[in-house]
Amino acid sequence: MLHAVRTAYYDSPDEIPEIPANEALRVPMGPRALPQDLRERMRSARELLGKAERELLPTGLPVFDRLLDGGLPRGELVEVVGGRSSGRFSLVLEVLAAATRSGEAAALIDLGDHLDPARAEAAGADLARLLWVRPRTVEQALAATEMLLGAGFSLAVVDLGLPPVRGGRGIEAGWLRLARAAAARSAALLVSAPYRASGTAAAAVVELDRGNARWLRSGASPVLLAGLGGRLALEKRRGGAAGRSAEIAWRSAECLAPPAPEAQPARFFERPRLAASA
Amino acid sequence: MSRKAETSGTRLACLTVPLFPLAARLRSEPELIREALAILEGNGQAARVIAATRAARAAGVRPGQSLPQARALCPKLAVRPRDAISERAAEEALIEVADAFSPRVESAGDGTVFLDLEGLPQTASLRGAATTATTEPDGLERALGRDLAAAADAAGLPARVGIASSKLAARVAAGLPGSPVIVPAGEEAAFLAPLPLARLAPEVDLSATLERWGVRSIGDFARLPPAEVASRLGRSGSELHTVARGLDPRPLVPREPPPCFEEGMSLEWPLATIEPFLFIGRAALERLTRRLEGAGLACLRLELDLTLEPEGNLRRSIELPAPSRDVKTLLSLIRLDLEANPPGAPVIGFVFRSHPDRPREAQLSLLGPAALSPDRLAATLARLFALLGPERVGSPRPIDGHRPERAGLVAFAPPPPPLVTERAAARQGRGLLGVRALRPPLPLEVITEGPTPNGSPSTASNPATDRPIEVRPMVASGGEDAARRLEIRGGVRVAAGPWALEEGWWTDDPADREYWDVELFGGSVYRLFRDRTTGDWFADGIYD
Repeated sequence: MLHAVRTAYYDSPDEIPEIPANEALRVPMGPRALPQDLRERMRSARELLGKAERELLPTGLPVFDRLLDGGLPRGELVEVVGGRSSGRFSLVLEVLAAATRSGEAAALIDLGDHLDPARAEAAGADLARLLWVRPRTVEQALAATEMLLGAGFSLAVVDLGLPPVRGGRGIEAGWLRLARAAAARSAALLVSAPYRASGTAAAAVVELDRGNARWLRSGASPVLLAGLGGRLALEKRRGGAAGRSAEIAWRSAECLAPPAPEAQPARFFERPRLAASA
Repeated sequence: MSRKAETSGTRLACLTVPLFPLAARLRSEPELIREALAILEGNGQAARVIAATRAARAAGVRPGQSLPQARALCPKLAVRPRDAISERAAEEALIEVADAFSPRVESAGDGTVFLDLEGLPQTASLRGAATTATTEPDGLERALGRDLAAAADAAGLPARVGIASSKLAARVAAGLPGSPVIVPAGEEAAFLAPLPLARLAPEVDLSATLERWGVRSIGDFARLPPAEVASRLGRSGSELHTVARGLDPRPLVPREPPPCFEEGMSLEWPLATIEPFLFIGRAALERLTRRLEGAGLACLRLELDLTLEPEGNLRRSIELPAPSRDVKTLLSLIRLDLEANPPGAPVIGFVFRSHPDRPREAQLSLLGPAALSPDRLAATLARLFALLGPERVGSPRPIDGHRPERAGLVAFAPPPPPLVTERAAARQGRGLLGVRALRPPLPLEVITEGPTPNGSPSTASNPATDRPIEVRPMVASGGEDAARRLEIRGGVRVAAGPWALEEGWWTDDPADREYWDVELFGGSVYRLFRDRTTGDWFADGIYD
C-alpha cells in the first residue's frame, strides 16, 4: 500500500526511495534506547522532545524575540512590566499585529479602555481577527481571559492599563489558573502591567524602562515628536537565564516610513507533478 | 376518473402517540415513567382520569374515573393535571420527527401526524432495507415504519405507525397492535371491512342510527348504496361512507414549518427561587437544543415566557451574539437576566421560545493556524456579553474623523485563517509608537507661557503664549472617584505644537481643538489639547 502511495507521488519509478520493510523495526525505541545516565533522570524520550520543541509566536520585534529566545512561548504566561511612556502599549500593539497578520485570532483584554483602533491598524493589526474586551475590574479581566483561552484563542493579551488599576494585582490563584489554561490550550498569554501582578504564574518577566523621548527640530518649523527610546530587561525566565537586556526604539507615525508593499504570498507546498504516463 | 384511481398513487404514513397527554407529561418528567401516574382533566370534583401509566392501569385505574375512585384502587397514585404547554412541545417534537422523513407533513393534533411517503421507500432501500424487501412485498415500507417509530422514540415519544393509501386507513392501521401495520395500496376497503364501526369514530347519533339499521362493521356500512346513504344521513353520513369505502375525502394538507421552537411546562408548585427554576429549565433547554440540532439550527434569540402566581405573565428576550446550542451558556444568560430583573412573583409555568438561525460553520485546517470553533466562540461571546455587557465586547473599528478617543465596535466574526499557500511571509514589526487613548479625556489645569489677552479664552492660537509650561490635575470634584483617577502633574520639558483639529462644526457635537505633545520632566510624554471654544485643557493620550 505504501508503495502504491509513493508510486502516485513521484514522477518516475527511479525516484521512489527504497525503504526496507524491516527498517522501522531496527530503530531503537523507548527508555531502553537512552544512555544509562539519562535513563535514570527521565521517564521517556518524549520529555526531551517536549523541551526541545517549544512552540513560539514571533512578535516581529527582533529585540524582544531575541530576549525570549525566538518569540512569545505558547502555553506560558509572559509578563511585561513598565511605567508610563515605557513603550509597553506599543509592544502590546506589535504582538497583536504579528499574531493577527499571520491569520490567528487574538484577544485584547483592555482594562483601561486604551485601544485606539486606528493606531492598532497602523501598527499592522488585522482588526477583523482581533477581539477587544473591556472589563471594568481585574477580576472581570481574569474571568474573561480564562473564557477566551478556553474558546481557543491562540493569543490573549491582558493589558492592566495605568495605575491606579481597579482591583490591584488580582488574586494570585487567578493568574495561576490563567497560566494553566494557556498551557492546556498551547496559547500565548501576555500580561502587560504597570507593576508585577501575576506573581509566580509568569514563566518570563520582561521589564521595560523608559528612555528619552526623541524630538525633531528643523529650522523654524515646530518641534516634532520623533519617538521614544527604552530598555528591555529579562527579569525572570523559568528554565533559562535571566538578566539579559537590550535597547529598543519606538518611532512616531509621522517619522515612520510608509509600510512596505505586501509581500507576495509564500508558496510552501507545490503539488507534485505526475508523469504523463501516470 | 374514479376516486379510487385519484388516490391510488399516494402512500401515507400515520405516526400516532397513544395516550398522548401522558406521553407529553412523561417527556417533561421522565423520572415518573415507572411510577403509578394518572393524568387528570377538569377541576375539583369534575376532574377525571384521561390516561394512566402501566403501573396505574395494572392497579385498575381507567380513563373516566374520578380522583377518589382512582386513589381507592391505587393509594400511591401520583397525579398530574393535563399540561397544555408540554403537549404543544411534544406535538412540535413529533412533527419535527416526521419532518426529518418527509417534506409534506400534516398535523392532526393530539399526537397524530400524517406524512406523504412519496419516493421514501426507495430511499429506505438505500439504507439497507433491500434484503427485507426481497422477501416481503411491503418490506421497504415496513422498514421505513420501524425507522419512524425509532426516531419518535429518540425524541421521547412512544409512537405507533400505520401506512396506507388514505389518511383514515393509515390512522386505523396505526391504532392496531403489531406496529408498523402496512395496508397494501388499493386494499383499504378490504382492510377496513371487518373492523367495528367504532373505529371510524362516527358521531353518537349517527352511530345509533346505523346500529338500528343492523350495520355493525365498516364493511356492512361500505356496502350500502352511496346515494341512499347521502339522502338519509346527509353530508356527514356521506363523508363517513366515503371513508368506509377506503377513500380519503380530505387530501393531505402540508403544514408550514414554525418560525420558532418552543419548550416549557406548567409546574406543580410555584417556584420562588432561581435554583430550582434553573434545574427544571435545564431539562427543557436540553430538549429544545436537541430539536434545534435535529433541524440543523441554533438559537439566535431566546424568549422566556413566565406564568406568575397568582396571575400575570412576564416575557423576557435574550439576544445571543451568534447562534448557539450550548445549554450551559443559555442557562447562565437566563440566570443573569433573572438576577438582574427578578420576576417579582413565584413562577408556576414557563415557555422557552427559540428563534433559530443557521449555526456558523468552519472548515478546520490541519496545516494553517487553528480556526476558532464557531460553536465554542458563540458560547464564549454570549458569556462575555453576560459578564460585561454587549457594548464592551467586539471587534474594534476606526471611525471616520479625527477625534482620537472615538472607537467603533462590530460583532466579532473572524474570517477563516488563510490557507497555508496564501499566508504572507512573516514580516518584521514597524516599531510604531503606540498611544494609550484616555476615555473620556482627562481634564487638566495647564499653565501656559503667557496669559491670554484680556484673561478670556482665546479663539486664535498663539504659539508664543499658549505653550504649556506646567501641568496639574484639576481640583477633584468627587472624593472617591478622584482617588481612582489617573494623575498627570509636572513641569513641561518639551512641548511640540500646536496642531489644530476642527471637526463636525455643523453638528451638535463639534470639536475645535489645539493639540500639543508634551514631555514632562519625569520623562512621560502626553498628548494634550485645549478646547478652543471653552479654553479648557485635557489629556487624551499617553505615548507609551
